[in-house]
Amino acid sequence: MQIIETETTYKSAILNGKGHFGPYGGCYVPEVLMPALEEMAQAFEEIQHDPIFLKEFQDTLNEISGRPTAFTPLPRISKRLGGAMLYMKNEGLNHTGAHKINHCIGQALLAKRLGKQRIIAETGAGQHGYATAAVCARLGLDCTVYMGRKDYERQRPNVYWMELLGSKVVPVDDGSQTLNDAVIAAFKDWVANPESFYLLGSAVGPHPFPAMNTFFQKIVGEEIREQCLNMAGKLPDYCIACVGGGSNAMGIFYNFLDEASVSLIGVEAGGKGTKPGEHASKLKRGVEGIFEGYHSYFLQDGTGNIAATHSVSAGLDYCGVSPILAWLSDEGRIQFENASDEEALNAVQSIAREEGFIIALESAHGFAHAFKLAPTLSKEQVIVINASGRGEKDLFITMRHFQEESLLTYAKHLLNT
Amino acid sequence: MSTPIMSHLVLGYPSLSESILTAEAYIAAGCAILELQIPFSHPTADGPVITQACREAVEKNNISVDDCLGALADIRTRFPEQEIIVMSYLNRVFTYGLPNFCQQLRKLDIRHLIVPDLPVDSPQAVTIQNNGITLVPVLAANVSTERLKKLLDRDFDFYYLMSDFKITGSTFSLHPRLEAVIQQIRATQPAARIGIGFGISTKEHVQLVTSTVDYAIIGSTFIKAKMDGNLGQVMGALTAA
Repeated sequence: MQIIETETTYKSAILNGKGHFGPYGGCYVPEVLMPALEEMAQAFEEIQHDPIFLKEFQDTLNEISGRPTAFTPLPRISKRLGGAMLYMKNEGLNHTGAHKINHCIGQALLAKRLGKQRIIAETGAGQHGYATAAVCARLGLDCTVYMGRKDYERQRPNVYWMELLGSKVVPVDDGSQTLNDAVIAAFKDWVANPESFYLLGSAVGPHPFPAMNTFFQKIVGEEIREQCLNMAGKLPDYCIACVGGGSNAMGIFYNFLDEASVSLIGVEAGGKGTKPGEHASKLKRGVEGIFEGYHSYFLQDGTGNIAATHSVSAGLDYCGVSPILAWLSDEGRIQFENASDEEALNAVQSIAREEGFIIALESAHGFAHAFKLAPTLSKEQVIVINASGRGEKDLFITMRHFQEESLLTYAKHLLNT
Repeated sequence: MSTPIMSHLVLGYPSLSESILTAEAYIAAGCAILELQIPFSHPTADGPVITQACREAVEKNNISVDDCLGALADIRTRFPEQEIIVMSYLNRVFTYGLPNFCQQLRKLDIRHLIVPDLPVDSPQAVTIQNNGITLVPVLAANVSTERLKKLLDRDFDFYYLMSDFKITGSTFSLHPRLEAVIQQIRATQPAARIGIGFGISTKEHVQLVTSTVDYAIIGSTFIKAKMDGNLGQVMGALTAA
């Protein structure tokens, strides 16, 4: 199918260089950061049409992250559910364990092109920080990662990996000591050091980050198109992704935005309830706002303050969402659903037992929704789920849930030896 | 006799009534301008002192935008001549409704608004200007000559310069390129007023800054003094002739 690239398509509107997605997006930062963002936006415009940069990007993805990642049918679970055929795009096979490395490689190559020596990044669970640290080590860039104190304590293995890779990890004691506070600390570092390059971890933030990270992630959907045609003999009927900030979702969705036959579903963290502080469902329960550099939907307290969030998966535990997804939600192009902590944990177990994969708790939200949808569809229909990350990082969380006794025994053993 | 200081505080810290008393103390000390900040849960450009004050005002005292407007009205009634500039992060006033917020400020004879995370040429900035409130651009030494020229073509009449690349409450230093920024503003808009802030904490800093621009802007130093219970002493030292 030939897509004519005009301003009227969603795809071209997202990458038109303006950074406005309907009423959302924009670049709401202190004036002191404008020169850095303008320089970045200019460089992003250039590289999109620079065959040398694009080749280097693709070669690096292949060489260090093993792209293309596998496209895997899920026959046993599909048979049990008795409806559509399920496939997963296994982004968990990437180096450092998740799709995050795609935009880290892209942004780090861009930083190098601009002659930057120092990288600043934020991280929640540590996946984006880990990927950033790996890419910076490989490219010889100095790297400082900000992490909320709470995340720093509960994701200590990732802190260790980042430090082993030569990055400086700074725990942030402000506010709720989670991702949001890490983002703010990273921005403050950037204000004090505007010559540094801020390597942002999702399709959020001021222009050009939402469009730029979409551009670096769209390889996921491009590969799915080809793999799905080869394996299933048709394009997907449904693509499903979990949504925290939206980087893996934009990765799988972008390529199919202008094809009405492909339904797109984003699944947010339903957490443990619908009250404020119990979930992280921005598009279902958030309100319009302008924060951390962009106009979108945010979880707020009703008077313009940012509210607390909750999800069992640290990667979805964030107050904002990509302005591109906010627009596509308003447009009705992407449907948004919820999956609870419990449903996500159950999905991890199902995929492990029935298909042999340990998926990340974040990605499990997408699977949980697919399990509800599949039985309502016919056997000829195809659902593709983005397994955005692998689940080894969740060891202590899932183990506490499934086998608390063995975790305690192991902890005691470690302490005694 | 007024002293060329624009003194800042967070409304609602440590309580709404105490922040009003602090504003009165600033006025009594002769501060030329009051910069009164609406507290926000996540102040993205502020250092630890102002962040702490914001957090207490929001989390402990639950201060709303209407509470702040009430405090402003109280101060205005008793000090009709005092110049007041309001500062807020964008999301609080965006959620309140920009046209309504601007209308409330105008009623209180407040003409200027600082919104640190709002570029002064964005759509919301246009809404603010169209509702009769003049934004105060917050600029740093890295503003390009072209960008500044563009800003100077518009109707701003007060410029807030960051002393250096840092957040509020950091150690004071003056970036060498600021002089060129000041010269460009003076050459194009001789009537515009200029203040310098971020890190000013001693009488010497105040003297250095006010020897080239109109106002020294002081926030964290006063708020820290308030926290430590020695505001009177610190204010006396900084405002003494």
